[in-house]
Amino acid sequence: MAPTRHKIELTVNGERLQRHVEPRLLLSDFLRYELRLTGTHVGCAHGVCGACTVSINGSTARSCLTFAVQMDGAVIETVESLAPRGPLSALQQAFHEHHALQCGFCTPGFLMSARELLARDPDPSEESIRMALRGNLCRCTGYVNIVRAVRAAAAKLKGEGGTHGS
Amino acid sequence: MAADHSRNEGDMIGRALPRKEDDPLLRGLGSFIDDIQEPAGTLHAVFVMSTHAHARIVEIDVSEAIRLEGVVAIYTGKELAGRIKPITSDIVQPGYQPVKRQVLATDRVRFVGEAVAVVIAENRYLAEDAAELVRVDYEELLPLIDVDQAVQADAPKLHDETTGNVLFQASFRTPRFDEVFASADHVVRDSFQSHRLAVTAMEPRGCLAVYQRRNDNLTLWTSTQIPHIVRTAISNLLDWDETRLRVIAPDVGGAFGGKCSVYPEELLVSFLARELNAPVKWICDRREDLMTTTQGREYRFDVALAFRKDGTLLGALAKIDCNIGAYPSFPLGASVEAGGAAIYLPGTYRMPEYAYETRAITTTTCPSGVYRGVAAPVASLATETLMDRAARELGLDPAEIRRKNVLVASDLPYTNAVGARYLTGSFDTCLERALAAANYAEVRRKQSGDRLRDGKLHGIGIASVLEHTGQGTLRYRQRGIVYVPGFDGAQVKVEPNGRAIAWVSQCTQGQGHLTAFAQIVAQELGISIDEVTVIEGDTGFGPYGTGTFASRGAVIAGGATLRASTRVAEKIRRIAAHILKVNASDLKLSNGRVYASGETSMSIREVAAVAHSMDARALPDGESFGLEATDYYDPQVAPTSNAAHIAQVSIDPATGLVTIESYVVAHDCGRVINPLIVEGQIHGGIVQGLSSVLSEALRYDQNGQPITVSLMDYLLSTSVDCPDMTVLHEETWSPGTAGGFKGVGEGGVIGALPAIANAVADALVPFDAKINRLPLLPHVIVELMRSSSGLPGGHESTALGERNRLHDSVAVREEHAQSHECIS
Repeated sequence: MAPTRHKIELTVNGERLQRHVEPRLLLSDFLRYELRLTGTHVGCAHGVCGACTVSINGSTARSCLTFAVQMDGAVIETVESLAPRGPLSALQQAFHEHHALQCGFCTPGFLMSARELLARDPDPSEESIRMALRGNLCRCTGYVNIVRAVRAAAAKLKGEGGTHGS
Repeated sequence: MAADHSRNEGDMIGRALPRKEDDPLLRGLGSFIDDIQEPAGTLHAVFVMSTHAHARIVEIDVSEAIRLEGVVAIYTGKELAGRIKPITSDIVQPGYQPVKRQVLATDRVRFVGEAVAVVIAENRYLAEDAAELVRVDYEELLPLIDVDQAVQADAPKLHDETTGNVLFQASFRTPRFDEVFASADHVVRDSFQSHRLAVTAMEPRGCLAVYQRRNDNLTLWTSTQIPHIVRTAISNLLDWDETRLRVIAPDVGGAFGGKCSVYPEELLVSFLARELNAPVKWICDRREDLMTTTQGREYRFDVALAFRKDGTLLGALAKIDCNIGAYPSFPLGASVEAGGAAIYLPGTYRMPEYAYETRAITTTTCPSGVYRGVAAPVASLATETLMDRAARELGLDPAEIRRKNVLVASDLPYTNAVGARYLTGSFDTCLERALAAANYAEVRRKQSGDRLRDGKLHGIGIASVLEHTGQGTLRYRQRGIVYVPGFDGAQVKVEPNGRAIAWVSQCTQGQGHLTAFAQIVAQELGISIDEVTVIEGDTGFGPYGTGTFASRGAVIAGGATLRASTRVAEKIRRIAAHILKVNASDLKLSNGRVYASGETSMSIREVAAVAHSMDARALPDGESFGLEATDYYDPQVAPTSNAAHIAQVSIDPATGLVTIESYVVAHDCGRVINPLIVEGQIHGGIVQGLSSVLSEALRYDQNGQPITVSLMDYLLSTSVDCPDMTVLHEETWSPGTAGGFKGVGEGGVIGALPAIANAVADALVPFDAKINRLPLLPHVIVELMRSSSGLPGGHESTALGERNRLHDSVAVREEHAQSHECIS
């Protein structure tokens, strides 16, 4: 017996979409397999590692702990929205210059969390950066260069009068 | 060795260049195994895992599961036995007993998580539904959780084909060992128990097999460190012509040794794609990863160090037991940890006498395998901890006892007690630079007798670190590890447009190969790294090789890339010399051009055009077309890197919580290709070490059930647990490797365990706490303080009473500290 599908209408990275989804389909799987937005990674599927972090209605959230069917009417942004074409955003560029990624699997989640921090606090201390990123796990970098990159991005954005952290 | 190692302007090697591989990863355009767009009709595999640590399989009933809509097939071990050969690490070494592992258990399961059946369905959700409906009847057998249980005379034998549960044992003794040890002034000893760790790459394992029936060709994408070895294993175990197999490691989301084995899933998914004539995909989830990916470092090290009264180290005695779990990994086998543990123990000190006994013991736990540093971090923990204890007992400062014993220039080249050669090193220089950068003397001067300041106990810890890197064919042959070739290769090719491409036989999992190797090619060819593309991890291109593990990337693949590039550069010179009518030896390659003395030059693009017959000018007589070379590299001596680590910690005496206050490393990995990448390797290694000292531990209950199967239970360090770090570089080029490179992947973790453990022990000096097991969770620290002779005894008290007594004790100590300050 085929499961019932429910209609959802949502906006993903600025594009309005209409889809029919099974109730048990995870938002992470919906983004990755149905929309082919594979930048959102799944590192644990139980809400700890943060690799699947996306923005839902302006706040970061775990897409692996969210069902797609809950997203009717939602506005979602994923890592693919940060620099859809053209040059990298200031935050991405800072990650590049400070070697803040190694394998890169966790990076989309860190970028989404850091972007939210910088939007909220344009001049974060090292401690507040570490606090803001504590829900994202990285096994390669020791967090050293990630923290340095976020500080550098904040300084750059401040210099440019930017406010979005992206 | 007074070679001029100064850098020239325009050098590509040695520059802190941001990485070429970053851009797609930052945009969400990475191509990790589960990001690859699978072909239409791809089937999804899910494994039915054993729920018992040790049991006989009585019956597997798939009747209900197979009826579920969307389920295509279900296979059990019995159906596949004979069609897929068992995995066997038949290490050729005395004292070694090979063991067979079926890809699906046939009659007996030996750890919780061992696959007993595989379900293939149209999508992952359906496959998981069906796996839940597979009923397995087990007859429970006695689990063997630790090495002591497994070596009991009446313990059940885990594998039919062996004698007992000790799969490997070896021993060694220098001729004068007994005599020197017996006459030593002072001996320190302890038994160190290291806890089992999960490698926990952020991307779990996974693979996708695509089969073409028309030519019996298979392409397997798999998240691995060893694509060539995986291909050879599939060929051997599935009886499949190796020329029809192509294995690709796409973007790999961290590995650290956990992807350095050929796994049953890779063989099964390949088999199923041919059997079902359809693409088949399997993605490991985190729970499965924590139950089935090779685990690391569950050892007991009983170590004794012998000294003269003045602190001179005379020798070491080690008895090492490694719990290797249910099956040896492939291709490294059961002896890789036990053998490595013994070899790595001597470290950075003059230590003439050495004796060891080492064993690898099979138990009903998840198979173990190599994990970053393999046995070196725990060997280093044991020796460095005992160095500190010896210092205290002999009235020396921990820095002083190391000054007295580390190898210095006049000792080099040095052959250690087990015959490992250290050609170069900067052991004393790194120690002094780290001590200076950490303000060690000042910290010691300020440190009050009982270490209490601002309500916290403060400690500083030192570790002197040796890292065996870039091990080539000889080391693997000596250890009988026959399926690990030991060399790597590179093919470098300049295309008609003057740009270069390099196919390298390793694969990167974040170590920055695509940038570092491009720097090597660019340096040799005199072009920019933007004009070089490095491609790795694809057995369909370029030469055969070994893979990326054991800090062998820069040394061996870097060496192969350098050699192939040099040969291409020579050909460029020959062609340009012919055209410019000068001697080839007078030509220099830089800025994309070939320069003779004076004004004469031509572009490399022009040379490339000539080489590809796209220019009116002809090649010199006898010169072949094309501009490419393939070469291999196998260093004759495995280069040793070295470092000194200094950690400072504070401990909240009320809660036992340890905080890392600062961390300094002075490091020498020979000639640095890219300092950004080197520092990243060190940072990451240190935090993996820190995490294993302070929070990580895999646990099994008495029935062998793993109880840490989520990241809520298996605790990895986060950004708030880690400090910023200072990394200082020394560069003592290796005279024994192409390019002077040494490896850097594991030194961070090897140093972090002892540096942090020694800092904690230093903070707890007033409690005379001896650290000999990890992790140092808050309750362990509280226990160490409570059990000290410095505190009132009594075992009947409640936890609250305990805490109050600690507070009282701390208050007393604070008063002491204040009175000290008044006096000074």
